[in-house]
Amino acid sequence: MAEAVIMPRQGQTVESCIITKWHKKEGDEVKAGDLLFTYETDKSTFDEEAKVEGYVLKIFYDEDDDVPCLETVCIIGQKGEDISKFLKKERKAIPAAPEKEQAQAAAPAVEGGQRADEGATSYIKISRRAKNLAEKLGIDYSKAIPTGAEGRIIERDIEALASDGVLALRERAADAKEAPATPEKFVYAPAVPAQAPSYVDEKISNMRKTIARAMMNSLQTTAQLTHTASFDATEILEFRKKIKPLSEKGELNNITINDIIMFVVSRVLKRHRAFNAHMLGDTIRYYSDVNLAMAVDTPRGLMVPVCFNADKKSLNQLAGELKALASECQKGTISPDLLSGGSFTVSNLGIYGTESFTPILNAPQTGILGVGCVVTRVREAEGQLKPYPCMTLSLTYDHRAVDGAGAAKFLQDICKSLENFTVTLATN
Amino acid sequence: MPKSQFLDPAELRKSGAIKFKDIPVNAYDRTIEQERNNFSDEELVRIYHDMAVIREFESMLNSIKTAGSYNGIEYAYPGPAHLSIGQEAAAVGQALILDKDDFIFGSHRSHGEIIAKAFSCIEKMADAELEAIMTGYMESKVLRACESFKGFNDFGVKEKARFFFLYGALAEIFAKDTGFSRGLGGSMHAFFVPFGIYPSNAIVGGSADIALGAALYKKVNREKGIVIANIGDASLGCGPVWEAIMFSTMDQFKKLWKGEYGGGLPLLFNFFNNQYGMGGQTCGETMGYGILARAGAGVNPEQMHAERVDGFNPLAVIECMRRKYEILKKKEGPVLLDVLTYRYCGHSPSDSSTYRTPEEVKAWQDADPLITYRQELVDAGIFTHDKAEEMLEAIRRQVTEVVKLAVDEKVSPRVSLEANPDAIEELMFSNKKVAKLSGRKPEVLQSKEDNPRVHQIARKARFYLGEDGKPVSKNRVYQLRDGIFEALLDKFYEDPTLIAYGEDNRDWGGAFAVYRGLTEALPYHRLFNASISEGAIVGSAVGYALAGGRAVVELMYFDFLGRAGDEVFNQLSKWQAMTAGQLKMPVVLRVSAGSKYGAQHSQDWTALCAHIPGLKVVFPATPYDAKGLMAAALNGTDPVVFIESQRIYDVPEMFHEGGVPEGSYEIEIGEPDVKLVGSDVTILTVGATLYRTVEAAKMLKDKYGVSAEIIDARSIVPFNYEKVIESVKKTGKIVLTADACRRNSVLKEMASSITEMCFYYLDAPPVVVGAKNWITPAFELEKYFFPQPEWIIDAIHQKIMPLKGHVPRTPFTTAEMIRANKKGV
Repeated sequence: MAEAVIMPRQGQTVESCIITKWHKKEGDEVKAGDLLFTYETDKSTFDEEAKVEGYVLKIFYDEDDDVPCLETVCIIGQKGEDISKFLKKERKAIPAAPEKEQAQAAAPAVEGGQRADEGATSYIKISRRAKNLAEKLGIDYSKAIPTGAEGRIIERDIEALASDGVLALRERAADAKEAPATPEKFVYAPAVPAQAPSYVDEKISNMRKTIARAMMNSLQTTAQLTHTASFDATEILEFRKKIKPLSEKGELNNITINDIIMFVVSRVLKRHRAFNAHMLGDTIRYYSDVNLAMAVDTPRGLMVPVCFNADKKSLNQLAGELKALASECQKGTISPDLLSGGSFTVSNLGIYGTESFTPILNAPQTGILGVGCVVTRVREAEGQLKPYPCMTLSLTYDHRAVDGAGAAKFLQDICKSLENFTVTLATN
Repeated sequence: MPKSQFLDPAELRKSGAIKFKDIPVNAYDRTIEQERNNFSDEELVRIYHDMAVIREFESMLNSIKTAGSYNGIEYAYPGPAHLSIGQEAAAVGQALILDKDDFIFGSHRSHGEIIAKAFSCIEKMADAELEAIMTGYMESKVLRACESFKGFNDFGVKEKARFFFLYGALAEIFAKDTGFSRGLGGSMHAFFVPFGIYPSNAIVGGSADIALGAALYKKVNREKGIVIANIGDASLGCGPVWEAIMFSTMDQFKKLWKGEYGGGLPLLFNFFNNQYGMGGQTCGETMGYGILARAGAGVNPEQMHAERVDGFNPLAVIECMRRKYEILKKKEGPVLLDVLTYRYCGHSPSDSSTYRTPEEVKAWQDADPLITYRQELVDAGIFTHDKAEEMLEAIRRQVTEVVKLAVDEKVSPRVSLEANPDAIEELMFSNKKVAKLSGRKPEVLQSKEDNPRVHQIARKARFYLGEDGKPVSKNRVYQLRDGIFEALLDKFYEDPTLIAYGEDNRDWGGAFAVYRGLTEALPYHRLFNASISEGAIVGSAVGYALAGGRAVVELMYFDFLGRAGDEVFNQLSKWQAMTAGQLKMPVVLRVSAGSKYGAQHSQDWTALCAHIPGLKVVFPATPYDAKGLMAAALNGTDPVVFIESQRIYDVPEMFHEGGVPEGSYEIEIGEPDVKLVGSDVTILTVGATLYRTVEAAKMLKDKYGVSAEIIDARSIVPFNYEKVIESVKKTGKIVLTADACRRNSVLKEMASSITEMCFYYLDAPPVVVGAKNWITPAFELEKYFFPQPEWIIDAIHQKIMPLKGHVPRTPFTTAEMIRANKKGV
């Protein structure tokens, strides 16, 4: 009996996935457990394995097709089997908007406000009529620029998306703002290269596009700047040394310096609510819980999983959970639901020897903390120069939401809490 | 305000006194021996017989209600049974002299009255006529049920007719399809028109103004017979009863109505005075009249010929009825009769008589006419107790057979809503078109061509633009009020039964000059001023229509509808279906929605009318629509609430190409009209907001490049949504607007229906732009209260699609809706 392989739904908010690679082609024999295809959402990558034995009788979608979740992707069965019942329905990938790779423009100036897929709401405001049209045309309506009342996508927005595409819409939206001044022109003397330049053009992955979009959006739509401060890491290093044997025995999770910093941040944030928040234009949304996001480097690129309610978790719990999150990101098995919803982010490049850097805000969050490596510095104490382990923290924040003094106080609070970690641990 | 009557201060300011005549109380003093000169012995015995039938019939109902069985027949009857056990002599005494041309309208406690009236008619009618009635009634449905009783065909025709009547009435009480009204009336509403028995009314005193209307019908159409409102003593506390009394005693009947139409109404207000209104004792507790007949004294110089008669003596009642009948025949009515009686049973079977003593009941039982009258007959040698017992036994057998048939599901099924789910729906409206309800020549005072208003209209432009393409001045253009007038005038010259009345209709021409010119055209009996009695104005129209005529009544301001609440909501709307379609209700009720005159003169209560099943509701906004809809309402057989707006009586025709036609035409009730074709947003208007919407549409086009389609609802009930759906399919967006307060307005109903029907096509929720949920403020502040063109634009901007550059001033946001609803405003 031929069986359909469907595009799995990865998380509640995912409506479609892109097939990035086919590992089998039509006619290939497959065994249960064989890799069929790799696919990705805008946040992570997954592998689909065959669950039955047989031959790939039909493949409906090509690489790079954006496939609605739960759609049939291919058919596995025995050679010569009748698969006509799977063929009745016309299958249509969601057409890729050619401008997808463009950085996201500023919020449209047209009254009606935000892009439909922005903001914390997980659903998109769209009229039934507009939705019908989008479905009929096979258009991803989340790309539409809403011009209806109350930020609603209405029929004309889908029509505009269908006829003009995303880029034109964004330009139009941007045009509604003031046109930028013509840049000054520079004239360079032409220099003929000795030989033709050598390069390779590689299409960037969907995930790269997502990262690019998020970064550009952050830099273009926020007023971010960075403070740096350093602290004496003696106490946390000693603490770590003390509990290391317990971790090795398996009585505690492996608690890293990063875990300790995450723990402290989760506690200090409670005293600085402006940083445990989202800047939403007219309003600031203050979170009552700390949903702490952590930047993770993966083979596919940067991922930012979220540890929800971090402030209510013990250091040990936190260490375990952060490890699991990082590991799932590495493997690409992380649920997309765990890749959004953070209220503050910590990014640690210290392990690669970076001393300090300016992290980019994970908008609409109001702050992000960059963590550098431990360096030995000297300081004067009792007339002598004494070495001590020092770490540098960089706090990038959105000046629209917080002023400099507030940021400085927050950073100071983190440093003090780390320097007096035993007290911090005792009182939290 | 007739000019013929001079109010002379010299005369009116003279001193003097009002003199009252004595009002007779229980004046009857004949002996049975004396009465033997007036009645045959057979008649005297028949009086006993009819009383005994009523007693048995009602005792049977009491037994079924309280014990679940009668004479071994088990039956569960959950419906009402308001019995009149004890009142039989009053009912039989009244009915004895009446025939089928005399109409009775009863109360919730009328089983006795209808049986008495039926038996009296049967006695007077020829066999052939009775057979024709039984065969013809509801396609022999009742007769066929009777025939399934084996003994039925052995009966003589009169016996058959009596059995037929008892069965039809009981089947009706038991809500059977074979009842006189297919069970749709029930216990409190049994009637049988072929015997002049009109529907009884479950609203206390409800029959007073309806009977008035029937009397009006008899007078205007010169029909034989009198009309009796059988109402209870407690109903004298009801406003509409007094309204009916005041209306029916208006001087104009005797002083202004001319020739054969002059004189008092053939109307008897017959109070069956059983001395309790449920448990409230009228004499001594809830009234102050001492003796009910006193009420007639203050009404008119004739004191309404008021009299109290002993309703425990059938012969006394008959003697009194004969005298009163003569008065009515001489056109000296109306008459008020206080028929003293007593009910032994409770108000209903659940009544435990906590309000009276067993001694009191016992004392009246001792005087029970079924005992005392029988004794008198026996004493006079007319009757024997043995014969009486034999008679009672025969009645019991007859009633038993009737009950057997009525409870038999096969013989007497209910209206099957399984087999025909539309069975009741089909009866809500009669939907007939009858141009005239009588063949005789309409009485008018002049030819149409001689009418001054007709002359005036002839000089007017029938479209708002003149030949030069410029708007014609207000005085030279045909207006909405002219449209209503023309349709009415046409019908007055076609249907002789058509009459129009209300407040200030004659001479003044109606408060808004719609009737100007009708005074010249019509005699008093076809157009007259009513007392300021909104309940009786509408109620009498109901009676006029039930009796067979067509009436147009007017309430001047919509706000006065509350005064006619029962008549509109319980009477006008109900009787077609409650009579299973046997009676029609060709009544047009004109109401006018005001402005400028504050909180009690500026309301639009369309929703109240539209909510009540059984009323058609229209609200034209243009001269063309007003004339066409009025013509349709007048040609129809259904009650139509015809809503007008005082803001637009003077509007010219701006939409219908070629203007308002001179000839007669109809616009189908229920069809909305696209007044302006557009593509971006639909605006559905009800009534006068059409013109503000036209302004809004212009602003939308000129300032924002938005093309609006305007649909004028014209009708509210019935309403064909198809055009609206088509429009919404096109535009995906709809705003609804009317002058009624927004909460629970018809717009809300329409918006909800459109959402349900067009959900798939909607690009935004339907938005309602109505008046605020406030009192209507002074004219100078009305722009903050009633919908304005800008509000429509604000609503589109905030709820449907932002309009570039528009700065809204009136909030239509969700937050505003939550806030206002929280506050109840």
